[in-house]
Amino acid sequence: MSPRIIAANLGVRLKSFYRERSAMFFTFAFPVILVLVFGTIFTKPEHLNFDLPVQDNSRSEASSRLLEALAAGDAFTVKPVPVAVDATQYAKEHKLNLLLVIPKNFEVLQKQRVVGPHAGVPVPLDYVYDPSSTAVETKIQLLHAIVAAANQKATGSPPAITLNAVSILSERYRFIEFFVPGIIAMAIMTSCLSSVLNMNAELLQKGILRKLATTPITRADWLASSIVYQLILAVVSTAAILLVSYFVFDVRLHIGIWLPLILVVEVVAFTGIGMLLTPFAREAESASAVANAFLFPMMFLSGTFFPVEMMPAFLQTFAKLLPLYYVNEALRSAMIFVDDAATLRSVGVTAAFAAVVFVAGTFRTRWDEST
Amino acid sequence: MPNTGPAIVVDKLCKYYGANKAVDNISFTVKSGEVFAFLGPNGAGKSTTAEVIETIRVPTSGTVTVLGMDVTKHKAKVVRRIGVLPQNFSSFDRITVRESLQYFARVFGCRADVDALMDLTDLRHKSGAPFNTLSGGLKQRLGIAIALVSDPEIVFLDEPTTGLDPHARHQIWDVLRGLKARGKTVFLTTHYMEEAELLADTVAIIASGRIVAMDSPAKLTEEHAEQTRLTLTSIDATAVGLIRSLGFSPIPKGNDSLSVPIKTPDDVRRILAEIERAGLALGGLDVRKPNLEEVFLKLTKTPAVSAQVRAA
Ligand SMILES: Nc1ncnc2c1ncn2[C@@H]1O[C@H](COP(=O)(O)OP(=O)(O)OP(=O)(O)O)[C@@H](O)[C@H]1O
Ligand SMILES: [Mg+2]
Repeated sequence: MSPRIIAANLGVRLKSFYRERSAMFFTFAFPVILVLVFGTIFTKPEHLNFDLPVQDNSRSEASSRLLEALAAGDAFTVKPVPVAVDATQYAKEHKLNLLLVIPKNFEVLQKQRVVGPHAGVPVPLDYVYDPSSTAVETKIQLLHAIVAAANQKATGSPPAITLNAVSILSERYRFIEFFVPGIIAMAIMTSCLSSVLNMNAELLQKGILRKLATTPITRADWLASSIVYQLILAVVSTAAILLVSYFVFDVRLHIGIWLPLILVVEVVAFTGIGMLLTPFAREAESASAVANAFLFPMMFLSGTFFPVEMMPAFLQTFAKLLPLYYVNEALRSAMIFVDDAATLRSVGVTAAFAAVVFVAGTFRTRWDEST
Repeated sequence: MPNTGPAIVVDKLCKYYGANKAVDNISFTVKSGEVFAFLGPNGAGKSTTAEVIETIRVPTSGTVTVLGMDVTKHKAKVVRRIGVLPQNFSSFDRITVRESLQYFARVFGCRADVDALMDLTDLRHKSGAPFNTLSGGLKQRLGIAIALVSDPEIVFLDEPTTGLDPHARHQIWDVLRGLKARGKTVFLTTHYMEEAELLADTVAIIASGRIVAMDSPAKLTEEHAEQTRLTLTSIDATAVGLIRSLGFSPIPKGNDSLSVPIKTPDDVRRILAEIERAGLALGGLDVRKPNLEEVFLKLTKTPAVSAQVRAA
């Protein structure tokens, strides 16, 4: 291995990269855009506040008290709905996913509940909802909670059980904090795998490899250049992601010695996989296809966008066979939970995997006959 | 270490691609300092042979020695002393002419005079142009410049002038003559007979993976080509008998033409004098020397090809 040759290769690759704007975009801008988009969608505002359309058919003191209670928690902003209309029809027409209907005899029923022959019979309250809406779940839950609180208050007895929240994290942990390490891991994986596959296919297809094979460049030189090149991209891309998420979403992740270590291990692992897959991607077209066939399942099943725990059990088991899962785990243990033991475990698995594919990839890549 | 022996020795080389025998038991020697031209039809195995010598392909059997070193055992040493222009040369798309030359110089760890190389191949005006913006001929010229970057002892050029305009071609020929004058060995693969005839000390003709003839261009034509022919056009039919009486074997060619195989310039004089004396009319004449192209066509004519020609 010669540092002079590695430096020469590195120069050519960085220049090519810099002059290829679309490669720059996909490597650096794309992950940052993902962070911005997902961060904006999933970062919940401090106070969750939904509009709650209510058709108050009662218009009594009792219904006003209920509306007050609904508005009190800051969770809902009550929007009155005309009394004359059919609630279901109205919800459909106005695309409301939840509409609360207070019955005409709300006050009467409430009084009857306390005394008389109907004492103890709960007062019915209808809501019309759209089960196909994903956002409605949260609203219904909130509604249930408020009604439960109102019930409990009405009975006048103190609550039997209260919940106190104790977070395992010293700081708040939001979705975006979970998401950012996943995007870092994904960006590096994508860049390594597609760049190795595309580069090799291009070199092969155009016959550049034939020329390089008649120079003193060895396979080791070439691999070392690829790894150093990918590391440089990984550092720049990670820095971009971290800076944007810090400045835009105030994401503060722990950055210590583990981060560079994880980057190195990940780069070696996916460069190795790229070399192993090269024989299946000898043309530029098949290179992209092979890269995608590998990248997409990896991306979705390894806990990049959502926690692996959300998946069915068999997929969870499968996820634990994927190298990206361990990179994600390592990054999250290091950057969010600051758990050295857990980080070491995941880094260990990734490193072992990296060593195996790298050695196998090295033996698979034939410098000469592959031309 | 200076090499006093032959530059390249190929001994009983065979190369298969799967079951396809691309090179079939060929042996030859390239002397140090000579221009060795490899001629052969498409698919004959020229590039394959060259690539085995250049260490990029592993021989199926046989041995190849370059500057006294076995190519399969001393790849690292061999590549430092050879310069290669592969067929259909290509380089990194977004890297400029100057940067490409600098890159290869750095890879070889040599102090190349990049400007001189660009002047040699007339690329100076394109020094800042990225490879993918160059025309085909300019790419080819850059490939030649890169092949020379390490000042190699043996230069392999696989079809260096294919796709070049006549000026560029003559320029490359000058470069090759310059290399020869500096004692470099040149292994040249070409489809242009003129190129081989002009430049080569030795020509090897290869067909279907076998060498069918190998010698200097002059010897090859002497040995294999038909004789020099004198063609007489618009001539009286009685001339046949007349010329035959002088001891030649004229062949009637239609259109009142006769083709007469001859040996010396004096033969022409004798025939013309006889025609003049008999007062026969003569429309025109043409003397055709045998050339390498004829030899090539004759030696590389495969049964399949002749059948195709007949069918057409
Ligand atoms: N990489 C390869 N894989 C399989 N077969 C190959 C390969 N390269 C060449 N061949 C086959 O080997 C034979 C010789 O090819 P080669 O390229 O050496 O011919 P060539 O004499 O250089 O032809 P041309 O004048 O067209 O360049 C051909 O039949 C060709 O199809
Ligand atoms: Mg060829």
